[in-house]
Amino acid sequence: MDEINLTINGKKIVCRAGTTVFNAAKENDIRIPSLCHHPHLEPIGACRLCLVEDENGRILASCVTPVSENLSVQTDSPNVRAHRKNIIRLLMANHPESCIVCNKGNRCELRKIASQLGVGTYDLYPMPHYTGFEEANPFIIRDLSKCILCGKCIRADHELVGVGAIDYNQRGFRSRPATVHDRPLEQSSCTFCGSCISICPTGALAVKNVSFAGSPQKEMASICGFCGVGCSLVMGIQDNRIVDVNPSPVENSINQSTLCVRGHFAHDFLSSSQRLTTPLLRKNGELSPATWEEAFAVVTDKLFSIKKKNGPQSIAFFGSSKCSLEENYLFQKIARVILQTNHIDNGGFLTGRSVLNRFQSRLGGMSIGPLKDLEKAEVVLVLGADPTHSLPVLGYHLKRVSKIKGVPIIVADPRRTDLIPFASLWMPLATQTDYYLINGLAALLYHRKAYDAQFVKRFTQGSDEYFKELSAMNLDQISRVTEIEPEGLEKAADLLAGKKIVFVVGHGILQQRNGLEVIDALLNLALMTGSLGQRGTGFYFLTMENNALGAWDMGAVPDFLPGRQSLVDNEIRKYWDRAWKIKISPDPGLNIIKMIEAAEEGNLKAMYIMGENPLRSLPQPGQIRKAFDNLEFLVVQDILDSETVRMADVVLPGAAFSEKAGSFTNLEGRIQSFDPVVSPPGQAKPDWEILSFLGNQMGLPAQYRTIEKIRDEIRELAPLYSQWGKNGNSSWIKEKSDLALFHPDESGESALFSPLVPLKENIRDEDFPFKAILGSWRYHLGSGTRTGSSNRINQMPLSGEIEVSIKDGERLHLLDGDKIRLSSSYGSIERKVKVVRNQKPGLIFVPRAFYENDARNLLPLTTLEAPNSPGFKEINVKIEKT
Amino acid sequence: MIKEHVDIDDIIERHPGKPESLIFLLQDIQAAYNYISPEAMTLVCDHIGVPLTQAYAVATFYQSFSLEPKGEHEIRVCLGTACHLKGAPRIVSELERRLGIKPGETTKDLKYSLDTVNCLGACALAPVSVVDNEYQPNTTTPKLVRLLDKMVSE
Repeated sequence: MDEINLTINGKKIVCRAGTTVFNAAKENDIRIPSLCHHPHLEPIGACRLCLVEDENGRILASCVTPVSENLSVQTDSPNVRAHRKNIIRLLMANHPESCIVCNKGNRCELRKIASQLGVGTYDLYPMPHYTGFEEANPFIIRDLSKCILCGKCIRADHELVGVGAIDYNQRGFRSRPATVHDRPLEQSSCTFCGSCISICPTGALAVKNVSFAGSPQKEMASICGFCGVGCSLVMGIQDNRIVDVNPSPVENSINQSTLCVRGHFAHDFLSSSQRLTTPLLRKNGELSPATWEEAFAVVTDKLFSIKKKNGPQSIAFFGSSKCSLEENYLFQKIARVILQTNHIDNGGFLTGRSVLNRFQSRLGGMSIGPLKDLEKAEVVLVLGADPTHSLPVLGYHLKRVSKIKGVPIIVADPRRTDLIPFASLWMPLATQTDYYLINGLAALLYHRKAYDAQFVKRFTQGSDEYFKELSAMNLDQISRVTEIEPEGLEKAADLLAGKKIVFVVGHGILQQRNGLEVIDALLNLALMTGSLGQRGTGFYFLTMENNALGAWDMGAVPDFLPGRQSLVDNEIRKYWDRAWKIKISPDPGLNIIKMIEAAEEGNLKAMYIMGENPLRSLPQPGQIRKAFDNLEFLVVQDILDSETVRMADVVLPGAAFSEKAGSFTNLEGRIQSFDPVVSPPGQAKPDWEILSFLGNQMGLPAQYRTIEKIRDEIRELAPLYSQWGKNGNSSWIKEKSDLALFHPDESGESALFSPLVPLKENIRDEDFPFKAILGSWRYHLGSGTRTGSSNRINQMPLSGEIEVSIKDGERLHLLDGDKIRLSSSYGSIERKVKVVRNQKPGLIFVPRAFYENDARNLLPLTTLEAPNSPGFKEINVKIEKT
Repeated sequence: MIKEHVDIDDIIERHPGKPESLIFLLQDIQAAYNYISPEAMTLVCDHIGVPLTQAYAVATFYQSFSLEPKGEHEIRVCLGTACHLKGAPRIVSELERRLGIKPGETTKDLKYSLDTVNCLGACALAPVSVVDNEYQPNTTTPKLVRLLDKMVSE
């Protein structure tokens, strides 16, 4: 790479060719003021504050001036300072004098630079351009009179988030960032990610905070506790309350300068009136406040007496994909070591863990990598995923690699998602036919000989059989089943031919009836194309919850011990027997569905639920309610009052992620630790403290006075987590399986191709002629227990309309806003309807999480393995007008 | 100046589906329909793959694009320095009186639109105006009125 020599303020500097003077100065700790420059955005030279003076007295805007050999500039000469002062004076003359009540407070960059330059009064005729507030939506206040036209919000919107809701309107004095036809934000394509607010240097864009304005007392780093992306946050604190959330400026964070509407605005659920603040005990049928000592004593006594009377198999533990690694580790340790039961599961079961299991068992590891590696991809195949709604920040990554890096993206999804405009090809396949599509694509690649024969030879076994099956495949039939024209399949094969693929797999796969088979087909395709083991290849799974992977890794599952080690492996079990000085039962425990069934049958007597709300998240609440009624003893440890909490015998108030220390493992396998930002409300305690105390009282030999003790134990015992904390607050899980790694230099075990199998037919049911897809809507996460307690989200006029196609709308005489009843053979829901363009006839979309997550009523409570199980994603329904 | 009906799809197909085509497409649509309708703008954006806001930004930046329907006849009067000194404001107020509209507006019958421009770069012809894309050097009020009368009689 070419190097350039230049002089800044008399200091000789060597820098990379192609960089700008501004960046060269920054790298050498020479600060140049700027209002429009941002490291994550393309420079545009709008504010002109970064002026520097060269030897000939020329004034240059350093952020858009490339470095050149022997250039010599002054960044702070009297001439430059005079110019800067004038620019600031002009900006101030155009700015309203409302600093006292401005939300930006002391964080205002205009104010900072003005004070640094010593501009107190501007001595010009004031010409503020009053425009009025726009604050009809519950998230963002726009006061464009404070806008300095730096264009950061517009650039963040277009370059980082890829939505394009705002752009410059008009020109000259009338110029301002606005939506199309200057409509309010809620009528535009704005997704309320709030990235524009965080990046705005002045108070033109602000968070709508009813109770607080100004700069918070202090700001602290944290990790977002909503989806599996795990964004780095800074939280502004005022009087032990979180009043402000912004993306953290730390290097290499997954979200950089972006967030989503949940991460930015829904954290007000933390101060919801629904928070649990004191332990509760059921006395005479009523839950009434108790002390921690009383609560702990009841839990210990009851669990021990039930174990004594009915045996360890009568007790089950339901951990949380939202609670931390440390907590899930302690939770399963209490279950396995003290109560000697393997009946442990977590909320991630329904959102994909049962399907991911297949991946783990075939490769012995997950082999995932940083999302940033998407940039290195040759082609991305997105299957059953709408990350623009479910994991928005992952959606931004995909949009950016498509738009900026030009990586081709193929989206296979029955619905036209917001990702389609960024895709090279959209395959609108029939629902739950992914298996055929993937095999069809593999067959096309095989026919063209456009696969990685070397990789197949070196790392795999069983390819002959697989290729024979592929060569016998009838592509016309594939096209008929998947409803993708043969040309569409050919086009996809054109894009995939000879390339290594990155797979982005969403809940359309992870929750579908044929999820296990689809994973097999995907792995075959990945092995065949050599899309494993290298950066810029492999799989990204959309994990719905912040610690879905971590809860599994910590053994909060029936069939794995910590470190994602199989419980049925004798060697592994012996290792943990020695470590914990007990004898672990070789039988895998019950998953959550089986636990409910066991409770219904009366075989399960006690349950301990931590941080989950199964009555809202699992199908068929009536059935679960009955099962819980059957229990002798139910402990619920949670942060919010919920349907499940109201059924408990003992309620232990835990702490939200911002109120405790802990760690989450995100969808990349990145372990992120965080410290408490505020203290828990009332008497609530951090969950790891509750478990540590309870464990100790119940006879766990080790006592964990600090969270570091728990981390030490995990690090020591679970090889997957041996690197944890080695690199500050962000480190990576360490895959040990040779299979998962595909070392280019060493030869590990060979990976096996799996044979093609016939799928169970989805028989068309004349009574239920429509197919309803259940999916996420960006304002809510999962079943919406937390986001549903957010005031801001609740104030947004959302009604979770059921989406039907134009053709079905016409046939059934449905208009937008009509009320309909949607019924499956398991239950029905009533909602408003919306007729949408680009939807396949016969297909219906139902957003989850609305109305106490009523959509769950449409599904049966079964596992994917059960015969005739429809899965958790799609169900046959009928529509009736009400 | 009655324009022939042009199919919008034909205009769009004339240009490659790339972001660079934006201004050309907007110009052709403006020329064909005298304004850019929201529907047309959506079609353009879908074709070239840019957010709607970007087209809107361009359309509001350039004076030559209109988002409101324009009249059959467009009258633009230059108010640049030279024209100003030679009495252009008086011409504008006479036109306002006769047409019953202000600059930037269109008569209700969609016959006439009146606009002012800051400078046409033809100061030697001051006061200058442009009627249906034809320059009218040394415009005087009576001359313009005669022109308007002629249009009505056509």
